[in-house]
Amino acid sequence: MLRTLIIIPAYNEEGSIEKVVNNLIEKFPKYDYLVINDGSTDHTQSICNSNKYQVVNLAINMGIGGAVQTGYRYAWDNHYDIAVQIDGDGQHDVSYLEEMIRPIEEGQADIVIGSRFLEKEGFQSTRIRRVGINFLSFLGKLLTGVRVKDITSGYRVVNTKFIRIFALDYPADYPEPEAMVIAAVHGGRIKEYPVIMRERKAGESSITMKKSIYYMCKVTLAMIIRRISFGVRR
Amino acid sequence: MIPVTLRVTLIIAVCFYFIFILHYLKNKMLELKYTLIWLAAGFVMILLIAFPELLMTFVAVFGIESNMNGLYILVFAFVITTLMTLTSIVSRQNLKIRILIQELSIMEKRIRELESMEQGKN
Repeated sequence: MLRTLIIIPAYNEEGSIEKVVNNLIEKFPKYDYLVINDGSTDHTQSICNSNKYQVVNLAINMGIGGAVQTGYRYAWDNHYDIAVQIDGDGQHDVSYLEEMIRPIEEGQADIVIGSRFLEKEGFQSTRIRRVGINFLSFLGKLLTGVRVKDITSGYRVVNTKFIRIFALDYPADYPEPEAMVIAAVHGGRIKEYPVIMRERKAGESSITMKKSIYYMCKVTLAMIIRRISFGVRR
Repeated sequence: MIPVTLRVTLIIAVCFYFIFILHYLKNKMLELKYTLIWLAAGFVMILLIAFPELLMTFVAVFGIESNMNGLYILVFAFVITTLMTLTSIVSRQNLKIRILIQELSIMEKRIRELESMEQGKN
């Protein structure tokens, strides 16, 4: 039996974390989980403590990338075979988990991404964001030859190889598209699995409209530089 | 040609500059590793003051209008290089801090678990 760890980064998610974790414990007792409380300033930490959740409390807020990387580091330290990444805000429906993990268990893929856009159902994000995501997805294809439609999706499953790679090197802020470039240049076999995402119930998206321009510039550059720093290796 | 008065002024300025750096180094307020770029800049200044022909050649090779402009460009180049070195130091430290926070927080979890196991025994 392969050991699986579900990583749940949470920053000020007092409104949803309980539901997300309880749901996981109830539905998937066979999987381990780990909440990464990213220096929340609300009651996220006390909720986790009083429920005796498996939680790592980051001493300082590090942003989503640093939080997720902590999860990978923990997964590597504790010899997990598979790591799953889901958001702490309840956007990701865990009923797809077993289906998403299967290709990795069977060795058919190194990374599985939960994608909103394969069957175009459920919450599809705003129009302008879809344009941005499409651009990044196209850029990813251009840089690495691998097309990931929902390149900003934070719903992912990875195998040991990429637990190791991400534990050592994971982008700091707005990490998802850049992480895909890392995966592709390391020769990762990336699969997308159609999922339906919910609109977030509580908390705020980490990307407000005001930050989107900065986001696009930063991520575009980061992806290009990632690709360049790997040279001609494929 | 650089005027003699200017050369004297520059020599005195560079001397103060070195005294300043040495003072900081002596009191361990600066790490030698990070002052190498500062010291190198000082030595180049001394070279240029002692042998103004070097500056002339530099100015001629790059087609710069006057000697003073050449000097400004050199100083500016050093300032930019120093700033880039500083940014790179900050970035490297940032990476180290990141790993520290992660390891510390994971360790905090282990300690918490060990403590609750201890409490369970008693």
